[in-house]
Amino acid sequence: MSRIWIYIGVAGLGILLQSVLLPHILPHGFKPDLMLILVIYLGLHEQTWRGACLVYVFGWAFDVVAGSFPGLHGFVLLGIFLAVRAIVSRVNAESSVLLMGLVLLGSLLQSVLMIFALEFFIDEGLFWPMVLWPLPFQVLSNVLTAFLLLKLALWFQLTFLPRAHVPGLRKLDSHHGS
Amino acid sequence: MWEWWRKNRAVLLGLFLLLAALLWYSVSLRQQRETNLFEALVLRVTAPAQSVLTSAINGVADVWGNYINLVDTVEENRLLMEANNVLKSELNRLRENSLENVRLRRLLEFKETQSVQTLPARVIAEDATSWFRTVVIDKGSADGVLEGMPVVVAEGVVGRVIRNSQHESRVLLVTDAASAVASLVQESRARGICRGQGSVLIFDFVLRKEKLVVGEPVITSGMGGVFPKGLLIGHIKTIDRMEFGLFQTIEVTPSVDFSRLEEVLVLLRQVEL
Repeated sequence: MSRIWIYIGVAGLGILLQSVLLPHILPHGFKPDLMLILVIYLGLHEQTWRGACLVYVFGWAFDVVAGSFPGLHGFVLLGIFLAVRAIVSRVNAESSVLLMGLVLLGSLLQSVLMIFALEFFIDEGLFWPMVLWPLPFQVLSNVLTAFLLLKLALWFQLTFLPRAHVPGLRKLDSHHGS
Repeated sequence: MWEWWRKNRAVLLGLFLLLAALLWYSVSLRQQRETNLFEALVLRVTAPAQSVLTSAINGVADVWGNYINLVDTVEENRLLMEANNVLKSELNRLRENSLENVRLRRLLEFKETQSVQTLPARVIAEDATSWFRTVVIDKGSADGVLEGMPVVVAEGVVGRVIRNSQHESRVLLVTDAASAVASLVQESRARGICRGQGSVLIFDFVLRKEKLVVGEPVITSGMGGVFPKGLLIGHIKTIDRMEFGLFQTIEVTPSVDFSRLEEVLVLLRQVEL
C-alpha cells in the first residue's frame, strides 16, 4: 500500500515539475516526459493489474494538466504499460540499458498511439505535425532524463537508504555484483 | 478451449483493457463538455502547489540573478559588493515593478475598451507536455469564470477556458491544434478559421480569389460564439495561393508572445455551451 502512495507522490511531483519548473528552465517548450518514465518503470516492476489501474488513473490525472481531451493519456499510457508488460517476461528486465531502450521505444510508441487517438477520434484539427515535429527532441530528452534519474535514484538509495528495497533499482545499476 | 484461454488470457485481457480505455476516451470526447469531479479535484490539488512552486522559482531566479553570482568576489570588495547587490536588487525589483506596471496599465487600458466585464488573472502553470498548448490561471468558478469564456491580453487573443475548478481554470491557447477561431482579415474582410499549429496559426477556408497581403492583421469575426468581434489574433506571415483549388493556404503569426504570458484578462459574459 505504501508503495502505491509513493508512486502517487512521484507522479504528482512529475506533474508539478513538468507544468511549472521545466517550462522555466528548458527552451521552446520542450520538456522530458517524466510520466512516461514512471509508466515504464511500473511496467518493469509492478504486477499487471495493479500497475494497469495505477497507470490509467495517472493518465486521467495527467489529462487535467496536459491537452484538452479527457481519457487520451489514460489510453496512451495504458497502451505503453501493457506493451512493456508484454515484453518484460521475454527479456532480462534487470538491465539499465533495457530501461533506456524501453524509454526510447516507449517515446516512439507514445507518438504512434497519440496520433492514432487524435487523428481517428477527433474531427477538427491537424495533430500529427504537432506530435511528429518535436519527436526527435522528445525522444532524446526522455532517454537523457531517464539516464540521469536512474543515476540520481541509485545514488540516493545507496547514500540515504542503503537497506531499503526499491524494486529493480539496485539490480538496474550496471555495477551491481561486479 | 480452456487450455487456449489459459494460454492467451494475459494477451486477451490486456487487449480488452486497452479497448475499454479507447472506448471510454471516445465516449468522453463526445459527451464531456464540463469539468467533472475528478478533474476539478486534480486541478484543486495541483494548482496551489503550482502557484507556490511558481513563486519559489521566481524568488530563486531573483536571488540567483542578484546575489549568488556575486558571492565569489574578492574579500576587500565584499562590503561594497553587498551594498551594490542591495541596490541592484532594489533596482531590479523596481524595474520589475515598473515593467509589471506597464503591462498592467496596458491591460487596464485594454480592459476599459471592452464592453463586457473582465477579470484579471495570473498564469500559474503551463501544459505538462510538449504537444499541447494550455495554461492554468489562478481564477475559477468562485470568481465567475465558466468554461468557454474567452481569455485575452492587450496584444490580442490568448484562448478560451476549457476546464475550471473553484479557484483555478485551464485555458486552451489559440496555438493548440484543437483550437479554432472564426476570423477575418481586417482590411479585405476575407473570412476563414484560424487553427492552432504550435508556434503559428493556419488561416483555413479563405477563398483563392481573395487578394491578401503579408503583414495584414487578422482579427476575430465574432461568428464562433466564443470571442467578441474585432480582437487581434495575429498578422499574415505567408500566403500560398497554389495553382488550383478553392482555398489558399495562409500562415498567421500570433500577436501574443505565449512564452511570456504572465497576466491575462478573462472576458466574463454569458457563454453558450
